[in-house]
Amino acid sequence: MDDRLKNIAGKAASIISGLACDYGEIRISSSSNMSIALSGKNVDLITTGESSGGSVRILKDGAWGFVSFNDIDRVEYFAKKCLSIASHINAKERSDIIRSKPVKNEFFIKTDKDFNDVSFDEKFALINSYNDILNSSEHIQTTNALYRDIDSKYFYLNSEGSEIFYDKKYCGISLASVAKDGSIIQPFHESVSGYGGYEIVEDRYDLAEKVVKTAVDLLKAESLPGGTYSVIVDQKLSGVFVHEAFGHLSEGDSIHENERMKKIMVRGRRFGPDELNIIDDGTIKGLPGFIPFDDEGILPEKTYLIKKGHLSGRLHSRETAYKMNEPPTGSGRAINVMRQPIVRMTNTYIENGPCTPEEIFDSVDKGVYAVNVIGGQTNLEMFTFTSGYGYEIKRGKRGRMYRDIILSGNVFKTMMNIEMIGNDLKMFGGLGGCGKEGQGPLPVSFGGPHMLIKDVLTGGKQ
Amino acid sequence: MTSIISIIESNVPEEASWYDLIEIKSESTPISFKNNRIHSIFEKENHGFGIRINIKGRTGFSYTNDESKIKNAVKRAVDMSPYCEIESFTLPSSAVKVFEPYDESISSFDPDEEIQKGSKAIGSILKKFPGANIDLRINMSAGRMRIINSRGVDASYRSSYYSVSLSATVISDKGTKLDIWESRSSLYPVKYEDLADMLIEKIGIASVEKNTGSGKIPVIFSPKAAAGLIRIAAGGLNGRSVWKGISFFAGKKGEQVFNKEFTLYDDPLLRDSPFSYPFDDEGTPGKDKVLIENGAVKNFIADLKYAEKLEIEPGGNGARGYASPPSTSFSNVVVKPGSTCCSDMIKDMRRGILVEQFIGLGQSNTLTGDFSANLDLAYLIENGSITGRVKDCMIWGNLFDLLKGDVTLSSEWERRGSLYTPYIFFPSIDYMA
Repeated sequence: MDDRLKNIAGKAASIISGLACDYGEIRISSSSNMSIALSGKNVDLITTGESSGGSVRILKDGAWGFVSFNDIDRVEYFAKKCLSIASHINAKERSDIIRSKPVKNEFFIKTDKDFNDVSFDEKFALINSYNDILNSSEHIQTTNALYRDIDSKYFYLNSEGSEIFYDKKYCGISLASVAKDGSIIQPFHESVSGYGGYEIVEDRYDLAEKVVKTAVDLLKAESLPGGTYSVIVDQKLSGVFVHEAFGHLSEGDSIHENERMKKIMVRGRRFGPDELNIIDDGTIKGLPGFIPFDDEGILPEKTYLIKKGHLSGRLHSRETAYKMNEPPTGSGRAINVMRQPIVRMTNTYIENGPCTPEEIFDSVDKGVYAVNVIGGQTNLEMFTFTSGYGYEIKRGKRGRMYRDIILSGNVFKTMMNIEMIGNDLKMFGGLGGCGKEGQGPLPVSFGGPHMLIKDVLTGGKQ
Repeated sequence: MTSIISIIESNVPEEASWYDLIEIKSESTPISFKNNRIHSIFEKENHGFGIRINIKGRTGFSYTNDESKIKNAVKRAVDMSPYCEIESFTLPSSAVKVFEPYDESISSFDPDEEIQKGSKAIGSILKKFPGANIDLRINMSAGRMRIINSRGVDASYRSSYYSVSLSATVISDKGTKLDIWESRSSLYPVKYEDLADMLIEKIGIASVEKNTGSGKIPVIFSPKAAAGLIRIAAGGLNGRSVWKGISFFAGKKGEQVFNKEFTLYDDPLLRDSPFSYPFDDEGTPGKDKVLIENGAVKNFIADLKYAEKLEIEPGGNGARGYASPPSTSFSNVVVKPGSTCCSDMIKDMRRGILVEQFIGLGQSNTLTGDFSANLDLAYLIENGSITGRVKDCMIWGNLFDLLKGDVTLSSEWERRGSLYTPYIFFPSIDYMA
């Protein structure tokens, strides 16, 4: 490892232990990054680079100061500056946080094949071979094939005496085809990523095949007429729903700052059928939402947000845990060391239920099968998602293909309307990640089994 | 500072056709109020270098934020260049600082004063709506960019930016939630008491709940909402998507695609906008460019790479941070205002909707102009006056079809971030409640 970084970390540990504050932490990192982006038949861009950075966060007399910087050699200067900022605020209502036992540990990502040992030629050839597949139809107008790896050495130090080192290795690919026929332009994309080595991105030819086939098939798909339908959601849409619609509501900051949410998000209250269990778990190795510790030095855990249909927990940073008088969950995450930790999800999913996918399909006489997702947005209890594509369901069988399926509604009503939960849980990640308060994309994963939901409102021509 | 040039000059191989280096330095101080009270003050410093080197026609790129490691970045850029595409554009040979998007008074930014201003604005809303939950974000940043290239350019300019964003959440007695926000940005610290007054007025109007049936309905988009729609349309005028053939406007230069009322341009030289610049991040001078003129496609925006591919004159639309190569990007997008007064638009409406905020706009297949959105904040207009708020409803349609048909633009306009737009009225849009 970089001796310079180690030396600075040593200095930082003694600085933070000696500062006159309620709580303080220093995070520093040094990382290198490579990305290869191809588009159509061309190389779009190749980027390699290295960066270092750090931040100091201090709580003093109930007020927060935060300073971030590139020049990590001057960490002592920035720590003093941060202390003076925090001292400067005259907080009427004091902030406070949950205290924790110090953590002294080193974490390393296990890889089958370290991407640092793979030549540039090999990486270039691999992403080119995926791009060739993405281009392999006459209907393809253009493509985007992206490879990215990030290797980051990260030190976390706090005034409780925590000294943590993490050698982070993350890589992934994103594959997109854009099909065109006359005035119809139809993009489709998939992405995989995770903490680990080059094995994450190897042998993904099937994924590339699926992307190009779906984009081309969508050219012939019809728009779903607007209305109210029984909808079977696939595993990915289940996952995005649980992340976007319910996961964000379970974040402590959205609850304690909002009187209405405080009244709704009550422990023990029923939110869905008995078969519904929703979990956030940062301990699952390999997945994009894996964290050995959060960016406040708290160890992650498996948190049940919904257990047997009832609200049983929520996600907390040190600050929201204190405010709501609940245990921290290791959910204080920052997109990099130059940003401050806020309450975030990790790997969020709906647990398997009792039904086979066949049973779910067989139970639907007339409805819609919604697959994959293009995007989603929520405003606390209201959500709007655009599904990637879907099919008509008639007497349990798939019929014609639909595109632009826009699902909208009230989160709580929709959760109560979950009628069947499958037993085929699958997790999804990708280079996209999650965005919140300008911090994105943060690596997360999400997933669930197939589910049947009744009375879902869809937009579209009537 | 000449040392940077000598470091590059001594490390760039002789066979290189050209190089350029961008240095970006910024300092910012965000202040945030959460839950009606001051929460935190941050200070951020960011500094880095990005370098492009063209060897035998192919351009490699790398970056670092450590000045002592520029040599390594040069080597990485050289190593990567054989894998990159042939690019035969020429770098600019001069970059003139005709103005700076900078105002000296940014240095008068005082966190204490800002905290007082913020507390006052929050207090004025709480006085009217004691149950409101208010967040306020203030940001000040000042920076400097420098561009150096092998054709002799060594130019820099300073920039300053101040922004304020005020948002309120109010729950009515009936349990209806209203999230409403207003924001403003400038080159220097500005007053914003009026933002609080605007929120107070809008919360008042929105407290009356109204319903109207599904079907086709006339819709006015306020500049805040119109900005989102215009961003979808403008996306297709980006030279990159035109060249890739995935833009609605590709191959339509000179063609009448929209109503003749509609004119849109890109202008990096507007003096009052913090999104302006004298030259772009490749050193290309900024130019005012009409992209859609009276409904006809006139031009596209492009960085040097796509300007060459599309055979158009680069107008200063290459943007980058230090950690990425340039990409084609808008400066200020301006929609030319019309002649109808916005109050007349409302006065003449028997039954219709005024949209302020969306949820989920831009998630659809926007390449083809399709949009669909939940209306986060929209008002019902009945017999020429705003009578209350409509909620739990959606609108959808195709933006390009709408702009081709009947469209009326107001004579008033507003800057929303980097977008200047009037109120936009369409006589018939699909609506579902």
